[in-house]
Amino acid sequence: MGYVITKKENLSAIDFFMEVEAPHIARSWKVGQFVVLIPDEKGERVPMSVYYAKDGRIGMFIRRHGKTTLKLWYEFEVGDELLSVTGPLGKPIEVKHYGNVVFVSDAVCAQAESYATLKAMKEAGNYTIAIQTFENEANVYPERYLAKPVADEHYLTTEDGSVGIKGHYLDVLRELIEKDKVDIVFGGGKLGSLKKLAELTRPYGIPTIVTVRQIMVDGTGMCGSCRVLYGGEIKFACRDGPMMDAHKIDWDDAIKRNARFAEQEKIARERYMAELRARGVV
Amino acid sequence: MAVKPKLIKERIPTPEVPVEERVKSFVEVNLGYDFASALKEAERCIQCPPEYAPCIKGCPVHINIPGFLKALRENPDNPDEAVKNALRVIWNDNTLPAVTGRVCPQEEQCEAPCVMGKVGDPINIGKLERFVADYARKHGIEEELLREFMANGDGTKGRVAVVGSGPAGLTCAGELAKMGYEVTVFEALHRPGGVLIYGIPEFRLPKEILDKEIAKLRELGVEIKLDHIVGKTVTLEELLGEYDAVFIGTGAGTPKLLNIPGILLDRIYTANEFLTRINLMKAYLFPEYDEPIAVGEKTIVIGAGNTAMDAARSALRLGTEVTIAYRRGREDMTARIEEIHHAEEEGVKFEFFLNPVEFIGDEEGRVKAVKFEKMRPLEERDRKGKRKIVGTGEYVTLEADTVIIAIGLEPNRIISEEATGLKTNPDGTLVVDENLMTSIPGVFAGGDAIRGEATVILAMGDGKRAAKAIDAYIRRKKANA
Repeated sequence: MGYVITKKENLSAIDFFMEVEAPHIARSWKVGQFVVLIPDEKGERVPMSVYYAKDGRIGMFIRRHGKTTLKLWYEFEVGDELLSVTGPLGKPIEVKHYGNVVFVSDAVCAQAESYATLKAMKEAGNYTIAIQTFENEANVYPERYLAKPVADEHYLTTEDGSVGIKGHYLDVLRELIEKDKVDIVFGGGKLGSLKKLAELTRPYGIPTIVTVRQIMVDGTGMCGSCRVLYGGEIKFACRDGPMMDAHKIDWDDAIKRNARFAEQEKIARERYMAELRARGVV
Repeated sequence: MAVKPKLIKERIPTPEVPVEERVKSFVEVNLGYDFASALKEAERCIQCPPEYAPCIKGCPVHINIPGFLKALRENPDNPDEAVKNALRVIWNDNTLPAVTGRVCPQEEQCEAPCVMGKVGDPINIGKLERFVADYARKHGIEEELLREFMANGDGTKGRVAVVGSGPAGLTCAGELAKMGYEVTVFEALHRPGGVLIYGIPEFRLPKEILDKEIAKLRELGVEIKLDHIVGKTVTLEELLGEYDAVFIGTGAGTPKLLNIPGILLDRIYTANEFLTRINLMKAYLFPEYDEPIAVGEKTIVIGAGNTAMDAARSALRLGTEVTIAYRRGREDMTARIEEIHHAEEEGVKFEFFLNPVEFIGDEEGRVKAVKFEKMRPLEERDRKGKRKIVGTGEYVTLEADTVIIAIGLEPNRIISEEATGLKTNPDGTLVVDENLMTSIPGVFAGGDAIRGEATVILAMGDGKRAAKAIDAYIRRKKANA
């Protein structure tokens, strides 16, 4: 115990930033790895990407999406403690000199990873390119939370064109590939986009390593919940990933499996929002 | 002529929660003895001398069973005193009697060779052990005894790191603490207990009881660091730098999956996922608790061990019909008799000689049926003594909108992948010598991490043996220093 929240800040209309004291993780965390947190006694175990790990603390980007993350936003303030923060989990990615490294992201977990990964890649002597996509202007983060400081080239896109480049990271990446500027792609975010990403880079033979977001319980390979078909074999996203070769993943199955608890998630979210309304919180 | 005491051939029964009531909740099924009935059952023991008491030999941790039953009988008018003396005897060998009294396969161990079993029912040793533990806990008898057991040490004999807080790790930690070592347990999950907390349902082992058994270890001075994955959060090498020895009791934490079409369909769970959601995360109380579980109306559980029974009975309590499908015959089921019996009583159906070959899904990607090949037993037996089976080429398809796979586990390789030099067998189990020491000096291991898959009590037996070996190792090391 004693995972004290040390910072909390709104990032956009849907995402927020939270920093927590977790010295056991901060000392050993490496790029590519994740953590699992539980807010309170009745909470569930939620996997989270890490934005940074330093000085005994870890920073995370969190989307107000399900009951747990809404609860973290509405009921947990700086000074409060979380029940559990476990990690680091999963395999680190190989940080070395690749040449031109691109990180693509279009959802909260990957926006965190974009900064963390490119920072390490830049330190390893790579030329770094970030393409960060948001749905619209309201969802865009304040500039200091973008991967700009660690990217030699930074592209901000919105799908509706309200700010930055109009379009998706796929559009920008396609242009970069055509200009022959891409040696390796890392990325994460929406699974549907990752499927398209895999299709985009495959014909060029560009290595593409992405976060395979799947429903997890323990995060250590014990439950098998996050199993995916990987090159025809069953692998666990938590243990063998979470960052894996996008070209080997069966994305259709991965997308289906990630929606397994959609009904329950909806029930929990609606019930919780009603509770918050009754308490006058929202 | 002296009158011989009359042998009471039948067991004094323990009450159980009626079937129709218990299938609606996760309350503990067996209610256990009260003092009067425990006394009557204990009096049936003919008191074989400890040197050749078959029950002691049959127990992997060699609890002095006649000794604790004698202690229980000696103070019929003073239950507190009787239980205290009995518990003292048990604790000498086993610090978790409330657990073992509930989850051990006693019928294969202490109770199997019981002399009384030759003339009638063997002594109900498991339920008596449980009675002593439960009574002591409820009546504040443990505190006094804990002080007695702590008199041994102040933690200066050495420091030991224990990896994993399941049965092997907790036992090893408890034994070392009793000997006077400073012990730190590293647990990956947010609650201690290992398989006892995530794998065994409340109706067999209430969490409250487990928590109290673990609290007792903390009283003995054992520190438990939760949320720490050895091999990730800290490395084995780091532990070796800080501690005099390490014990690895990480269990068999990776589920075996069926490599057949449809394995990725929705509502096909591994028993580990299903039970972890229910036991550790209380998904049966969703949405009051946040972790969800989803089951349909017809569930098929594949497998026939204790885990399969636990999964089947848990599923039943979520309101679905349950069928256990096993590729062998009834006599080959590895679950405890009591659990099979409870499952049948509660309405779980059994299908034998069915081997799954395909999961069939609907348009939405959710399982709707399981296709099995019918199997046929042969006279020939395998090395485990089970009859070999062959496919018949005939197939049957059973409807199921939920499937739970409980066909076994293999060791989690997090530590062995990280710690180079830690030798493993091809199945992932750790290589150990006769003292349970691994290929790295000072690193010991036990339980399912070396056995693949066994019982709680065998893991505890290893924990105890390893504690003795660790003690000897540290003494030797300090003497040579």
